[in-house]
Amino acid sequence: MFERLPRLDAAVDRAAGPITRFLHRRLGITADQVTWASFGVTIVAAAVIARGHLYAGLALMAVGQALDHFDGAIARESGSASLAGARLDTAVDRLSEAAIFFGMVAAGLVSLKLALLAFTAILLLTSVSERSRLDPGCKRFVLYLGPWVAYPILFEVIFAVNLIAYVIGLLIVDIHFQRRMDALGGDLDTVASRAAESEAEERQPLPAPRSA
Amino acid sequence: MTIVTHVLATTLGVKLFHLHGRSVVLAYLFGVAVDIDHFIKLPYFLRSVGLRNKRGYYWRSSLQEPVALLWIIPLSIFLGTVVPVAFFIVHLAMDYAVRYEKMPWYPYSAVVTRGWLTRIPDAVKEGVLLAVLICSNVFLVWTRR
Repeated sequence: MFERLPRLDAAVDRAAGPITRFLHRRLGITADQVTWASFGVTIVAAAVIARGHLYAGLALMAVGQALDHFDGAIARESGSASLAGARLDTAVDRLSEAAIFFGMVAAGLVSLKLALLAFTAILLLTSVSERSRLDPGCKRFVLYLGPWVAYPILFEVIFAVNLIAYVIGLLIVDIHFQRRMDALGGDLDTVASRAAESEAEERQPLPAPRSA
Repeated sequence: MTIVTHVLATTLGVKLFHLHGRSVVLAYLFGVAVDIDHFIKLPYFLRSVGLRNKRGYYWRSSLQEPVALLWIIPLSIFLGTVVPVAFFIVHLAMDYAVRYEKMPWYPYSAVVTRGWLTRIPDAVKEGVLLAVLICSNVFLVWTRR
């Protein structure tokens, strides 16, 4: 939940330790099961918001986000944390945001155009955040401010923050690539293609071991 | 292309389409100021090449590649104007007429291209375009006096 704030993440892990151990050791619940349970609760939250019950929907969304913390905690507790698990978690997070956003559109809290733009900005940021390590986390959390700030303004904030973070993220990835080109040196006229080749070689998966 | 050519092309567009206020700011932002990434690359150039006059350094970034349309199009929709997209495409079209290496879709694709009209020397393309832009700007100013 707080991957970008490791100290806070560790503190929440410690506080929720007994619940995590109970869920995993006593009930045998896996991280992926918690991920999908969190998604289910969020879908219900989106439906409740769409029916016009904003506060009940926000409360359910909070339950979904709290559950979302436990999938990572269980994965760490059971030693099953993996890149595939983290990617599933990210994909489910995006689906959850889509559901909540469209619940709010259905409730007439925000226009479809603004919800689509905010969601597009979040998707763009997600597409580079693994490489740029930049994600300000300005997504569903902002929606809890709804009772005090108008939703169109909150969606504009989500759009702006994520779009700016995306542009900065692209530049961070570019700077990593520039360092690669500078390290390669040689003919400057062909350095981009040589650096692209070396990067592609590094990203290729290792060949699978042959069976006897 | 040089900054002068980009300024002339943007100025021509601003005059041609009678842009005012915020649209003028957006036109110069996306027609000229996207070149700001050269300043971001400057420390790396100085570290790698130093103060020598060495041509061919990779000054580009995704800020002025087609991949930037992924954020410029949503921004244009948000602002309710085509000015950012239109002036950015003009900027791109001019840069892609120069023969140095470019990575249009990085970091999503490692494809490298040299753009178009690669058989014509860069100096000829830049010279012709510069002359056309100067004449067009002067013509517009003269006819609208």
